[in-house]
Amino acid sequence: MRRRVIRICFGIIVCFGLVAFYGEIIFRYYQAVDRTPSYSQVNLSERYLPPSIFRHPFAEVDGAGPGRRLWLGAKTLAYRPLGTDNLGRDVLQRTIQGTRIAFLVGVVTSLIAIPIGVLLGCISGYFGKWADDIVVWVYSTIESIPGLLFILAISMVVGKGIMGVYLGIGLTTWVGLCRLLRAEVMKHRDRAYVLAARSLGYSSWRIIFRHILPNVFHIVIITFSIRFPAAIGTEVFMSFLGIGVQGEPSWGIMIGNARLRLWQGVWWEMAAVSAAILLVVLAFNLVGDALRDALDPRLRSREV
Amino acid sequence: MTRFIIRRVLYMVPMVLGVILVTFLLFNVVGGSPASMALGKNVSPQALEEFDEQRGFNKPVIFGWWTTTRAFPARDFSEPVKLFAGTNLAVQLLFPLRPDSCYRVKVQVRGLESGTRVRLLPDSLIMLSNSKPEISSRWHWTEFQFQPGTNLSVSPPVLLSVEQGALEVRNVRLERRMPHGLDSQLVHYFKTLARLDLGTSLSTNEKVTTMLRRGILPSLALTVPVFFGGLGLSVGLALLCAYWRNRWPDRIFVFMAVALMSVNYLVWIIFGQFFMAYKWHWFPIWGFESWGYLLLPVMIGILSGLGGNLRFYRAVILDEIYKDYVRTAFAKGLSPAGVLFKHVLPNAMIPIVTNTVIALPILYTGSLLLESFFGIPGLGGLSINAINSSDVDVVRGVVLVGALLYVVASLVTDLCYALVDPRVKLR
Repeated sequence: MRRRVIRICFGIIVCFGLVAFYGEIIFRYYQAVDRTPSYSQVNLSERYLPPSIFRHPFAEVDGAGPGRRLWLGAKTLAYRPLGTDNLGRDVLQRTIQGTRIAFLVGVVTSLIAIPIGVLLGCISGYFGKWADDIVVWVYSTIESIPGLLFILAISMVVGKGIMGVYLGIGLTTWVGLCRLLRAEVMKHRDRAYVLAARSLGYSSWRIIFRHILPNVFHIVIITFSIRFPAAIGTEVFMSFLGIGVQGEPSWGIMIGNARLRLWQGVWWEMAAVSAAILLVVLAFNLVGDALRDALDPRLRSREV
Repeated sequence: MTRFIIRRVLYMVPMVLGVILVTFLLFNVVGGSPASMALGKNVSPQALEEFDEQRGFNKPVIFGWWTTTRAFPARDFSEPVKLFAGTNLAVQLLFPLRPDSCYRVKVQVRGLESGTRVRLLPDSLIMLSNSKPEISSRWHWTEFQFQPGTNLSVSPPVLLSVEQGALEVRNVRLERRMPHGLDSQLVHYFKTLARLDLGTSLSTNEKVTTMLRRGILPSLALTVPVFFGGLGLSVGLALLCAYWRNRWPDRIFVFMAVALMSVNYLVWIIFGQFFMAYKWHWFPIWGFESWGYLLLPVMIGILSGLGGNLRFYRAVILDEIYKDYVRTAFAKGLSPAGVLFKHVLPNAMIPIVTNTVIALPILYTGSLLLESFFGIPGLGGLSINAINSSDVDVVRGVVLVGALLYVVASLVTDLCYALVDPRVKLR
């Protein structure tokens, strides 16, 4: 039962990853041909279309013959399946673009935060002494600054836009990983295999990255699976506030837009985005838990 | 014990210094020009300079005698300008220089090094001269210092001209001399902090300290109930989970916790406000007039934090529950509730209290989103507005005070920990 749930969740993540990749291709295509993307194109004749699988938006089917009718029907099958927003833009396409941005943020911030955390954690854990003091000082300083405000302040300083999101999240969220790795590397530092490697005359860096790091790498994997949904949540928050992604349909921007229409009874944009976020984050949380149970044997005995 | 306390208090000093340095780095060094960030693009350079002067941004960053001035933005000529005897290069000053300060003009020229000279003429002409006709291949800087009050009567424009020979100019910059080398932004920042001055807001022109003082009560009115309500609820549920561990109620709770964690905070707020306040009229929608206005935000706050807390406390309690003393207690034939409340809970309290105290500074920042959505005039809404309008001083004030509170809270946590748990060794 549990394994099946995890398998489904992993499938959901892969699907969303593929969707994000598809979104990236579409985005690149429109950039290459230098046209307004269809997901940003204003189409006032199609405002507030409710979600529907089958519709005839403008085609007059009445006078047409059976073959033509079938063709028109097939063409309009799944036309704007999730409806349109206040400017007649397709909600499905915008949600796909939002997925793309969410995954970009998750991956890029991990690419910033994880190397910093790994490097500093390994250095302070392995070398100890003053190197350790400095690293601990740096991360406890960063840790003491209220997290969300720090992220927002960084992105304010860097400038509004996706770069600010990357840097804000990436530069503040390595602390947890660094702390965990430091403690773990300290435990490994005096183990027999490290002593053996040292007595063979290997350099410290080789010992750290070739011998110790593979043994503590599960922490990095678990951290990645935990920080990915957190980064997505933060991005949504920032874009909603207007200091995140600019001019592209991110989930936060869509929520901000849909929120105003909710009062008019236009619920589908809000529902689509909420469902997408819920699915991705839930899947990541469950897979993260499963990873932790599988990779960290100390926790396995306790839970399940 | 006293030694431990003293060491721990002393350890706060580098932390506080670190926090101050990080905020300094963030807003003074990385931040580019706070003036143009705050005032926008279409303002006169003089206004920018006045803003900088007021906040000390026109000083050297950490150390130095010379600082740039906006009167003449540094100019890099992509094509070096060739000047011959008799030709001029106008250096347009954007506003008059201060008569009391000393300035220097630095010009990067290519002439013969020994031959190039700079001197200032009374009619605002800066003469460069090259005594030899050849042009060398090396660029070098040549400079001239002057005091506008005495030497340079009128400000714009200053003309660079060549008296004799020919040379090429690539770079012109104007710098102002500071009264002493330590008159820097960093020192200025420490000085204002020592006066407990966090600056003034740009949009309302109020002291940041008064803004913080005014915003803290509404923030606490929101966050304290959220915090303690959430704590009580999640510890209670975690005990229930531990009681029914690995049976279906526990599994349902854990799954619910993960599901609650996965719903985005924004979605909680928007749906709560839309359905409970707008559609069903259970609560007021927006405002801060009586305690009734706090009900809905507090509820949403508790609910959104419940998932994560429940999982954490459940893990903490389960950590205890497999220990020997619990097995002994059960073996003595004590009731499960008795064991849970009398034996397990007190031992599990140590990580719970640690977690609680360390979370206390978050109460001060308030909930950024809840406050701005429900119109509660606290620090969270304040900081969101400040970030949206690039109000540097307010953002810095909130960040700084939040961080300092955290440092104090972590001190209190460690001391509590050392007092409560005799196993904590005094390092």
